[in-house]
Amino acid sequence: MTKITFVQPDGRSQTVSARVGDSVMQTALAHSIDGIFAECGGAMMCATCHCYVEDARTGQASQGEEDLLDCAEDEVRPSSRLSCQIKVTEDLDGLVVHLPVAVD
Amino acid sequence: MLDIPVNETVTLADLTRDPYPIYRQMRAQTPVVRVAQTNRIFVTRFEHTKWIKENPEIFSSDDPMTPMKPAFQAHTLMRKDGDEHRAERMAMQPAFSPKVIRTDWADLYTKLAEDYVSRLPKGETVDLFSDLCGPIAARILAHMLGLEEATDEQMQRWSQRLIDGAGNFGNDPELFALSDAANAEMNALFEQVMPRHIAEPNNSAFSVMLNAKTPIPIRQMYANIKIAIGGGINEPRDALATILYGLLTNPEQLDEVKRQDAWLDAFEEGVRWVAPIQVSGRRTTQEVQIGDHVIGPNETVMTIQASANRDEAVYADGEAFNVFRDKHPHQAFGSGPHHCAGAQVARRTLGQIMLPLLFERFPNMALTDPHEVIWSGFGFRGPLNLPITLA
Ligand code: HEM
Ligand code: HEM
Ligand code: FES
Repeated sequence: MTKITFVQPDGRSQTVSARVGDSVMQTALAHSIDGIFAECGGAMMCATCHCYVEDARTGQASQGEEDLLDCAEDEVRPSSRLSCQIKVTEDLDGLVVHLPVAVD
Repeated sequence: MLDIPVNETVTLADLTRDPYPIYRQMRAQTPVVRVAQTNRIFVTRFEHTKWIKENPEIFSSDDPMTPMKPAFQAHTLMRKDGDEHRAERMAMQPAFSPKVIRTDWADLYTKLAEDYVSRLPKGETVDLFSDLCGPIAARILAHMLGLEEATDEQMQRWSQRLIDGAGNFGNDPELFALSDAANAEMNALFEQVMPRHIAEPNNSAFSVMLNAKTPIPIRQMYANIKIAIGGGINEPRDALATILYGLLTNPEQLDEVKRQDAWLDAFEEGVRWVAPIQVSGRRTTQEVQIGDHVIGPNETVMTIQASANRDEAVYADGEAFNVFRDKHPHQAFGSGPHHCAGAQVARRTLGQIMLPLLFERFPNMALTDPHEVIWSGFGFRGPLNLPITLA
């Protein structure tokens, strides 16, 4: 079981058990985490699963992911990722995921 | 494992008139069913339609026989899969991103909406469907695509001709002649505005595609813009008309929406209640099980998002328009790789700009008689008229 902590912009945080093989986006939906909408269901087409992750274990965003991040609703930072593109592995235990501030 | 049941009785005419009682019965009794009259398999439950759209390797959008090809004079992104689809879609997507809407378009859209609303005669009864919903959707899209030179009438006519051609399964030469003529007019306009977009790039879809680091072929740019013309007018038009109908026939909800400024919620509920695009087709690439049934390769599966959006398993009292229902994601914009490219644009232009503006100017507008409103459509659905007294 891999534990993932989701941190809201106001500092509230929630630690949940993620299923290995799911994406971080699926984990967020399964636990009704605010701020992850995932309208395209993980097809890397909507950028409504945007989050910030500073953790080398998650690897690099692909070129396609980088391109779509430019279409994200909220501020894009160097740590920006699409949560549907991060696969949960046993190795990711303790991952911390920050959610973006909703704009207007 | 069971054979797929066949429904011999339902006709396209029934579905066009009022599909909802039919879908309710299908969800309960035959959630996966071959409808004999169309020779297509209808899938009506939320869980199945979402899963189908999110598994493009099994359920392909690629339909080599589609009349969309002659109608658009190209094989468009809507009917492609995989990397080829992504490349074409991402060439255009930046023009529709929330950031560009905020920085480049929000002020312009507000001004356009104000212009069109201020032209409406206070105190009179008008058909808002033809006097507002269609023209404003056309004008906003013209700007977003980089085709300001086109008139509202042209945009709407081209859109309709493309749609009629793309649905021309009977191969009626008359309809393809009309779509060919529209294609010729559009191509001429594209050629005319191309130098402007190269000299003065902006964030419109045509500019973004032309000035990309590695541009896609010109003919695919043309095809993409045509897809947006075909898909970007009728849906916002029908969505606006549907939301207005929902609010005006539920005055207590309208009051509450005004009080809470809940226009975006009204938008989401309107498109959930009557999805402007009701149905999406996919072709099976292999044998696959849906629910209790096994389906062979090369079958056309119709995922009915209109039905998914009212599924009892997800929505309490889904047949009713209720802005304040418990929130649950709907499928009006599809899901998976073909998830609507214009979803954010539609939300913002209608939910954040148009609806509040319209009710600010005409706080007491009323439908003359809800029974006069005619609803129609199987693939695309909405009211055909919206007689409203403006006050
Ligand atoms: C000019 C543009 C378009 C036209 C004329 C058009 C019309 C159609 C039609 C009639 C079909 C084939 C129906 C069938 O296979 O039974 C098709 C597939 C479909 N298209 Fe396109 N489409 C256009 C662009 C779009 C866009 C941009 C969207 C979304 C915004 C869209 C959504 C659909 C849907 C939902 C279907 C449903 C029917 C189906 O797939 O079977 N279409 N298109
Ligand atoms: C309320 C308004 C709208 C609704 C309900 C809607 C709905 C949809 C749906 C259901 C699809 C997926 C079709 C499928 O799965 O085959 C789609 C695709 C698409 N829509 Fe929309 N749409 C709306 C507004 C717009 C606008 C304003 C634009 C133009 C900016 C647009 C452009 C597109 C395009 C280009 C696609 C094809 C995406 C692809 O195949 O990758 N739509 N839309
Ligand atoms: S869920 Fe749509 S891009 Fe991640």
